[in-house]
Amino acid sequence: MSRIFIAALGFLMMAVAPVTLADETCMSPYMAKIVGQEDYVYIWTLGMEGVGDGEDKLVTVDVNPDSKTYGEVVHSLSVGGRNEAHHSGLTDDRRYLWASGLDTSKIFIFDIYTDPAQPRLHREIDDFVAKTGGIVGPHTNYALPGRMLITGLSNNRDHGGRTGMAEYTNDGDFITSVWMPTDDNLQGAVKSGNYADGYGYDARALPRRNVLVTSSFTGWNNYMMNLGKMMGDPEAMKRFGNTVVIWDLHARTPKKVLDVPGAPLELRCAWGSRSNYCFTTTALTSKIWLIYEDDAGEWQAKAVADIGDASKIPLPVDISISADDNHLWVNTWNDGLVRLFDISDPHAPEQVFEKRIGEQINMVSQSWDGERVYFTSSLLANWDKTESGGEDDVQYFKLYNWDGATLTPQFSLDFVEMGLGSPHQMRFGAHALYGKAPAKTGHDDMAAR
Amino acid sequence: MRQWLIGLLGWCAVSALAAPHQHEPPVVLAPGYEDLQFEPPSAGSYQLPSMGEAADGLILNTLGNAGRLHDYLGDKATVLSFIFTTCNDVNGCPLATYVMSGVQKAVLKDPDLVDQVRIVSFSFDPEKDTPSVLGRYGDQFRAEGFDWEFLTTASEDALRPTLDAYDQWVIRDYDEEGNYLGTMSHILRVYLIDSDRRIRNIYSTSYLHADTVVNDLRTLLMQ
Repeated sequence: MSRIFIAALGFLMMAVAPVTLADETCMSPYMAKIVGQEDYVYIWTLGMEGVGDGEDKLVTVDVNPDSKTYGEVVHSLSVGGRNEAHHSGLTDDRRYLWASGLDTSKIFIFDIYTDPAQPRLHREIDDFVAKTGGIVGPHTNYALPGRMLITGLSNNRDHGGRTGMAEYTNDGDFITSVWMPTDDNLQGAVKSGNYADGYGYDARALPRRNVLVTSSFTGWNNYMMNLGKMMGDPEAMKRFGNTVVIWDLHARTPKKVLDVPGAPLELRCAWGSRSNYCFTTTALTSKIWLIYEDDAGEWQAKAVADIGDASKIPLPVDISISADDNHLWVNTWNDGLVRLFDISDPHAPEQVFEKRIGEQINMVSQSWDGERVYFTSSLLANWDKTESGGEDDVQYFKLYNWDGATLTPQFSLDFVEMGLGSPHQMRFGAHALYGKAPAKTGHDDMAAR
Repeated sequence: MRQWLIGLLGWCAVSALAAPHQHEPPVVLAPGYEDLQFEPPSAGSYQLPSMGEAADGLILNTLGNAGRLHDYLGDKATVLSFIFTTCNDVNGCPLATYVMSGVQKAVLKDPDLVDQVRIVSFSFDPEKDTPSVLGRYGDQFRAEGFDWEFLTTASEDALRPTLDAYDQWVIRDYDEEGNYLGTMSHILRVYLIDSDRRIRNIYSTSYLHADTVVNDLRTLLMQ
């Protein structure tokens, strides 16, 4: 317990989110954070046919080295089917974890505070498409005060990339939805370049600047298609997002559409109280882009670094910014590498480290102090490799320690061998967030191995 | 602002000294203590969709009279803030009270708002925040004639349903012997409630600012 320390930035638990947040360094400056040792990592895991029960599940791994069950799966909660489990996010009070499915558009709300070692399903939202007026593929689950912002990837009219965002109360009741700006309907936004595609993916808020930033990926037709088939379809390959949108956060109205060609995915904003910028990476063009407010108060986008050799399609996926805004971890799915960029000058990132983690590396989460870095594999069910090209596991959860120069492996779990599935997004949990001490012994309901 | 802040923290000093806890001091003052760093959208130019009904609950006013929270909701646009007077985190309850004072100041200057707005500060510490304690606390901040109500409850049992209904999660701090330290950890939430008792916005530390709240009040009254 003494090793757990919850930051009191704000009053211990202040809101916003986060939230998709891939990790502890991805939250609001005022959201409760685990700045010491996390107890658990909650992994939203895609079900795989023929692996265990085949269902999507929330997998809880004990990551506290003082625990007797350190490095073990201590709980697994299946949700009854496959939904294309993808991203998850915490509510502003960190009591609930929202986890969504890109195929069925279902959202599962897990109670993680009653017993942080054993999450329970609190509520299931199965009418997202109807309630939102046709948004398909809930992706980012991002906490705003007393509510969750859910970004979509698609729509129910043509299952393409035009989509919107929805808001729900923390209880799971629908509030409202808004569509992304398009050439047909800019909704008052300024189109600053060649694109206003209406696509969506991630979202981050900078409340003190009244800014919401969104990125863009692709629609259901593509993300549910076999990867090889899609890559061979020139028309399908045209249907990727090329935009980042700057919104009036308070009014939820789009202000400016920025050209960021090549599917800008994860967004991570700087922590500094006067740092008005965010990073994203483009999956198809393999670049780091800076989204920033210039000296005149205008929001701009510019490519600031290459990630590997773009001609080899490294396919950057998840990124993670350090708490001091000096470093950015970048995973590339195709070559299995994690790269570390020095971003102390956000306009000129420099790669300072790289290491192969494993086949189809996807998500990365780091502890607040940056000393522990977690990785999972799995991108999408129909894009993932099913067989290893070498000695690697194809679906894994791995922990490394980072000392500023070297990533040292601590443990690795093979999610296929354990009958779990394809691990995707990770969120951290700690007993101390809820005024509780961890159990002194392990739990009886050890999950499927 | 800094003098105001020191005064407010002075109110909490006894508690702060008596109950040091493990939380680090805040390193960044919340945006609500500064001038608003952006031009807000103009009042009435945006929507504030309903987030559901504002719940009722048992209360005691500063005179010790029993009543219900709904007695203070429904006739005016209301800004409802949960606080406790011994709160010693600068970005928690002191922020809420500071911002509410700013709202009061702005509303008093606006003849279209002054009779249409109420502020309610609701304590979630019935043990320490008795009606008389809360009354003295409120006297520090309420301007002459302004409709700013300070409410408490008779007991934890009376308070809990209201906190649950407003999803106001509170962790009380105890020492190793189980003695209540008089401090709590909570998520700061301030609610904007319309005259039909519907929640129209919720503000937390990084969003709470007097200018934003007043803008929202004007927006509500224009609809």
